Amino acid sequence: MKELRIGVYVCHCGTNIAAMVDVEKLAKELSEVKNVIVARDYKYMCSDPGQDLIIKDIQEHKLNRIVVAACSPRMHEVTFRKALEKAGLNPYYLEMANIREQCSWVHTNRNEATIKAKDLILAAIKRVKWHEPLDKRSVPINEATLIIGGGISGISAALELANAGKKVYLVEKSNKLGGIMNQIDLTFPFLNSARQILDRKLSEVVNHPNIEIFLNTEIGEIFGYIGNFETQINGNKIVFGNIIVATGLKPFDASRIPEYGYGKLPDVITSLEFENMLKSGDIKTKSGKQPQSIAIIHCVGSRNEKYNVYCSRVCCLTALKYINQINSVLPETSIFDIYADMRTFGKYCEEFYSSTSRKNVTFLVFDQKNELPKIREASSSDKCNLIINFREKLSGEIIEVPADMVILMVGMEAHEAAKEVAHKVGVSMCGNNFYIERHPKLDPVATTTDGVYVVGTCQAPKDIPDSISQAKAAAARILATIEAKTVDVEVTTAFINEDLCCGCQTCIKVCPYSAISFDAVKKVSIVNEVLCKGCGTCAAACPTGAAKAKHFTDVQILSQIEGLFSYA
Amino acid sequence: MKPKLNLAVYWGAACGGCCVSVLDVHEKLFTIVEHANLVFWPIALDTKYKDVEQMPDGFIDLTLYNGAVRNSENEHLAKLLRKKSKILVAYGSCAHMGGIPGLANLFNKEEIFKRVYFESESTINPDQVLPQPHYKVSEGELEIPEFYNDVRTLAQVVDVDYYLPGCPPQTERLVEVFLAIVNGEQLPPKGSVIGAKDKTQCDECKRKKSDNKLVKEFKRPWQIKDDGETCFLEQGVICCGPATRSGCGVRCVEGNAPCRGCYGPPPEVADPGAKMLSAIATMIDSNDPNEIQKAIDTVVDPVGTFYRYSIPFSILRRKLL
Repeated sequence: MKELRIGVYVCHCGTNIAAMVDVEKLAKELSEVKNVIVARDYKYMCSDPGQDLIIKDIQEHKLNRIVVAACSPRMHEVTFRKALEKAGLNPYYLEMANIREQCSWVHTNRNEATIKAKDLILAAIKRVKWHEPLDKRSVPINEATLIIGGGISGISAALELANAGKKVYLVEKSNKLGGIMNQIDLTFPFLNSARQILDRKLSEVVNHPNIEIFLNTEIGEIFGYIGNFETQINGNKIVFGNIIVATGLKPFDASRIPEYGYGKLPDVITSLEFENMLKSGDIKTKSGKQPQSIAIIHCVGSRNEKYNVYCSRVCCLTALKYINQINSVLPETSIFDIYADMRTFGKYCEEFYSSTSRKNVTFLVFDQKNELPKIREASSSDKCNLIINFREKLSGEIIEVPADMVILMVGMEAHEAAKEVAHKVGVSMCGNNFYIERHPKLDPVATTTDGVYVVGTCQAPKDIPDSISQAKAAAARILATIEAKTVDVEVTTAFINEDLCCGCQTCIKVCPYSAISFDAVKKVSIVNEVLCKGCGTCAAACPTGAAKAKHFTDVQILSQIEGLFSYA
Repeated sequence: MKPKLNLAVYWGAACGGCCVSVLDVHEKLFTIVEHANLVFWPIALDTKYKDVEQMPDGFIDLTLYNGAVRNSENEHLAKLLRKKSKILVAYGSCAHMGGIPGLANLFNKEEIFKRVYFESESTINPDQVLPQPHYKVSEGELEIPEFYNDVRTLAQVVDVDYYLPGCPPQTERLVEVFLAIVNGEQLPPKGSVIGAKDKTQCDECKRKKSDNKLVKEFKRPWQIKDDGETCFLEQGVICCGPATRSGCGVRCVEGNAPCRGCYGPPPEVADPGAKMLSAIATMIDSNDPNEIQKAIDTVVDPVGTFYRYSIPFSILRRKLL
C-alpha cells in the first residue's frame, strides 16, 4: 500500500458543532495522529472556501485519504465526494465522522462531547485507510414507461409522458379506464362534475398515438432494472425504462363494522352507493320513497384501532358535498351529519365547510375511538326507517337520531392487487399495504427501487388533485431521467470473489433484489451489479468471505470499531 | 550434500494428536530424518528444556508448535522456541485458533478449578486442595506451571511465521510443507496459512447442493437418514464446511460426518463462528418470530458448534460475564 496521507477537517458548522465540541483542540490533537498529514478546523466545511481548503491541501500535501468531521453523511457526503473528485482523488477515499447529529446536537457536556467527537474521528481515520477507489457506472435509459393502473393517477401520468413524445404502456386490470372516479358524481369543493373532468382526459388518452392501452390485463413478472425493464403482455415482450405504479384504492368494507348493520339494514348505504344515486338523480330508500331525513356517519373504517388507524382524508369533504347536494335536490329533507372530527384542510376546503355549515344541517359528534353509534331498524310506531343511537360528545347525552337513510363515509384501503404488484415491481409496503415512498418528505413519489414510482391512492389515501400532482411529479421525474439519456447506478454494490466462492448459494436466496445468480459452469455465485443496491445482506450471510459489500467491507467496519475504542 | 535442517516439534495445551500426526508420516519419517535432525520433540525424544535454552538463537530451522497457550510453561516454551527458531509454525487448530482447549474461555480460572478440583463426580478432595504454582517441602520448593485465566493462540503470545491448520493437520500437508522448506522453494509471505486452500470445503465436497437450504429445524447427524449424497445443510444438519478452508480432503464429509471447522476460516474471514452463524440464520424457513425461535432452539450447543476450534482466535475471545 502507498504511504497513507490523511487530511482531517473538523467543521464548526457555525456554532452547531463548535458550541458543544472543542473543534480547535480536536484539530490540534488529531494532527499528531499517525498518518495524519494535516488536520484543520473551519467554520463551514461545506461552503465553497471550505471545500477549496480540502482541494488545495490534497494537491499541496499529496493527501490520499480525507476525513471530514461534520454533519451526517446523508447531508454532505456527496458535496465532499465532489470536492475530492475536483482535486483528482477518487471520491470514495472520503470518510465522514458525524459529530453534529450524533454528537454536538445530542449532548450537553462539552468535555464529554469533545471526547466522543474524537472517538468518532479516530474511527473514521482507521476506516479510511481501507477505503478502495470505486468507479461510477451508468446505463442507458429506455424511453418508454409502464403504468400499472388506469385510474385518474395513471391516466394523468400517461398523458404527461405521452405529450412529451414518450411511449407509454398503460395497463388496467378492469375492462375500462377511469378507476374510482367513474363512480363519483361531483367533486369538492367546487362541485364540478367528475364525469366531465374524466371524459376529457379519457378521450385524450384513448386517442393518443404514444399511449398503448391494455384493458383486462394483469401485469406479469417484470425483469430488469432502471432504464431496462421488460415484461410480457399477452404474449408480447415489451421493454421500458421506468414504471409508475398507480393501483389505486379499495373502499373499506362497511359490513366489517357490526354496529352499522351494513348489508342487513337495506337503507344503510355506503358513500359510493350514494354517489350512484346522485348520478342518477334518484335519491330514494329501498322501498322507493323519498327520504324525510338522511344521516351521514363519518370515519367508517378510518381512525379506529380496530379497523384502520389512519385518516382517509376525503370523507369529511365528501360528506359536506352530500349536504350541499341533498339540500339542493331535497330541500325539505333533514340532514344529520354525525362526525368525529371535521377535517377540512386543503385549498378552499375550510371555506366550503363554513358555507356548508350555514345550510340546513345538524352536526353531531360521536366518539369514534371508544363508542361507535349503533343503527337499528325503527319500530312501526317511529316515523322513520332507522334509529341511530349514540352518545353525543358535545352534550354528553345519549341521543337517538331518526333517519330514513344512513350514508356511511367509507374510508380508503390499498387495492387488493397491491401486494402482488409490490412483489412484481420490487417496492415495499407499510403495515397497512400502502406503498412506501423513498422518503416521506424529500422524495415522495420515488421508491427504493430505482425507476419505480408510486402515485395516487396506492401510496396513501388522497384526493383527486393530490393524486394528479403525484402523477405529474412522477412523470416529470421520469422525463428528467430520460433527458439524461443514462442513469448512474449504485457504485457501492456487492461483489463476489470467484477465487473464494465455494458455490454454497447461501447468498442467492437472501438477496432482496434477485441480483445474484449461480454460474453452473464456474460453480460460483455472480452479482448483477446493476440490480444490486448494496444492501450487504449477501456479504453478511456469505460464510466464505467471498461476498463483500463494496465500501462496507469487514476490514473497514472492524477497523472503524477498533478506532472507536482506541482513545481512552 | 546439503546440511541437514534442525527440526523441533513441541506441544503446548494439546491432546497429543498433532504429535501423532507427525508420527503418521510413517515411512516418510526416513525422508524427514534424511533431511533433518530432530533436535527437540518431547513426545519422542528426551531433550530437556535446558538443552533448548543452550542452543544459539536461530539454531532451529523449523519449529512446529502445536497446542494452545494455557499456562506459564506453554508461554515460556513458545517464547523460547521463537527465539531459537528461524521459522515458527503454529501447527494444528489449537496453536492456530485456540482449538478445543480454547472452549475453556467460556469459563474463568476459578470456575474451572471449582469444577475440576471440587465438584466433578470423580473427585474426592476433602482438604479442598488446589494446585499451587509454588509449594515448600522439606527438600526445597516445588514448582508447577501457573494456570492462566485465558487460553491464547500461539500468535497472541509470540510472532508466528506460518499457520498449518487442522485437528490434526493432514500428514500429507506436513510433508509437502517440510519438503518445500527442504528444497528451498519460494515460501509464501509471512503470516500465511499453509497446507490448506483458500476456497472452503464446499468447493471440494461432492455432495449435491442447491440454493434451497430452507429448514424448519436443525438436526444432529443421528437424527437424519443421510442419503450420502445431499448437502448436510440441506438435510438440516449443521456442517461448518462453507466457512472452513479446504485442504483436508473433505475427510469428515467423505466419512459421512458434517465438517466441524478445524481447518479454520478462509482468508477474508475474521470470525468463522459469526460467519457460519449468519449463514445458518438464512436457512430458517419461517418469518414467524415464534417459529424462528423454535428453530434456533434446535441448535444444540451453539458456541461449541460454531466456535468449536476458534474462541480465543475469534472476535469474541472469551466469555466476559
